[in-house]
Amino acid sequence: MQLGREWFQGLTSAEQNFVLAVLLVGVGLALGGVTAWLVRGVLVAFDVDEAAEGTAFERTARGIGTSTVGLLSQLCALFVFVVAALYALEILQFLPTQQLVVAASWLLPRLFVALLVLVVGVLVGDKAEIVIGDWLRSIKLPEATIIPRLVKYSILYVAALIALSQLQVATGALLVLLAAYAFGVVFLGGLALKDLLSSAAAGIYLLLTEPYSIGDEVEIDGARGVVQEVDVFATTVENDGEEYVIPNRKVLREGAMRVRS
Amino acid sequence: MSALGDLVTDIVAEVDSVFLFSPSRSLFEAFAGTDTPVVVVAPEADVDAERFVELPLEFNDLTERVRFGVEGGLDNEFVEEGDQIACAAKLFADDIDAVTRVRAGDYDQSGVYDLFVNSRAEPAVIRNVLEVAIELGKKGQKGKRVGALFVVGDAGKVMNKSRPLSYNPFEKSHVHVGDPIVNVMLKEFSRLDGAFVISDSGKIVSAYRYLEPSAEGVDIPKGLGARHMAAGAITRDSNAVAVVLSESDGLVRAFSAGEIVLELDPEEY
Repeated sequence: MQLGREWFQGLTSAEQNFVLAVLLVGVGLALGGVTAWLVRGVLVAFDVDEAAEGTAFERTARGIGTSTVGLLSQLCALFVFVVAALYALEILQFLPTQQLVVAASWLLPRLFVALLVLVVGVLVGDKAEIVIGDWLRSIKLPEATIIPRLVKYSILYVAALIALSQLQVATGALLVLLAAYAFGVVFLGGLALKDLLSSAAAGIYLLLTEPYSIGDEVEIDGARGVVQEVDVFATTVENDGEEYVIPNRKVLREGAMRVRS
Repeated sequence: MSALGDLVTDIVAEVDSVFLFSPSRSLFEAFAGTDTPVVVVAPEADVDAERFVELPLEFNDLTERVRFGVEGGLDNEFVEEGDQIACAAKLFADDIDAVTRVRAGDYDQSGVYDLFVNSRAEPAVIRNVLEVAIELGKKGQKGKRVGALFVVGDAGKVMNKSRPLSYNPFEKSHVHVGDPIVNVMLKEFSRLDGAFVISDSGKIVSAYRYLEPSAEGVDIPKGLGARHMAAGAITRDSNAVAVVLSESDGLVRAFSAGEIVLELDPEEY
């Protein structure tokens, strides 16, 4: 220890800087490795590797000889290493001006976050597409391929927007587009689902209180018969081979007549 | 060896179509190129076959499985009455190890395909009820053999043709068969007398029902008891199907339109 210090003090200041820079790069490499290891551990603990299985992103990552978890941890390690390297360059006074250092220290974290958001966005988008597609297939409705794709691109759009705004690119116009899109989805969706929603609200009341149940004879909105089924959206009434499916909102609006005999 | 080869060739000679029961993807693709029409019979449509019959229950008995497949093929018009059909299915191993030949419509239609597909209730509901009955028949309730009667579908009419024996334990509850907890409940309640009534969508409407259909003209084999008679009568009197677990011989029988369409031994599942 003593020996090392004496040797260090014996060097010229330029040589001292060089030794420090080399040390810093070494520490940066080591820290980067530790970061990669930690991030990988955390990601695996949260089952990210299993969640990423089968996504297009994972396939691409596999194609270049790594995996989603590997890519993410390597990204973090790279960030740590680049910061260390930047400090080393500064010590060696390789950087032409102080301004560049300021600019780099402003840009680097933002670039890092932007990249991370993009990767996570692509990953979540892929995963959402797969999950929703599977769900649609499980309810035997694989034809509606537009929905998973729409969800995927919406997530990608939002991720890209976050990434761009991290880099302080002017995203005003894109934001307006997003707002218009969200408004469209909520408003038109609400308009389209209006009947379903009001039926479901009425259906929950009917299921909770059971003013009539299966087997009762009722008359709802001119349809008279025996109740065959009550679910959240509709009541099924049957009469001599005629089956009426009555939306539950009608039951609440028009009222139901129950035949007591 | 050639004699054996000739035997197999004889079995599959000049068949009009091939029925593959739960084939692997590679096997199906090997058949897809040939001229003979191929029909896939499997629990799940995972090989993208153009002609597909869904098997609601893994019938352990090969005869039942073939019967179901052929009736399904006839119903979907994949085959015509009198067509020669080669069936390849698994009998002992985990993949296809048996080949047999059958003529469509040779035996009288048992209606086992209609039971699942053309009943009022959804096929999944009937399958779930059958599974509960099979499990109950296998284990009994607390080691004791029990009987049970499930009436599935057309619940409104069934409720009007029956009366409560006591308070309905499923009143104001909204539970469906197929849910593991509900299946346990059903087994618990099976010691109650009377029938379970289950709606088209699988909702358990009532337990403890005394069925009072008109039993006129119901013809069930002699030796079966009042529970089977009630099952036969209620299915004749309404569009429901009934699943009965016999207390005396432990078999599960399904009734439709007053007739036994399916008989299963729970011990085989």
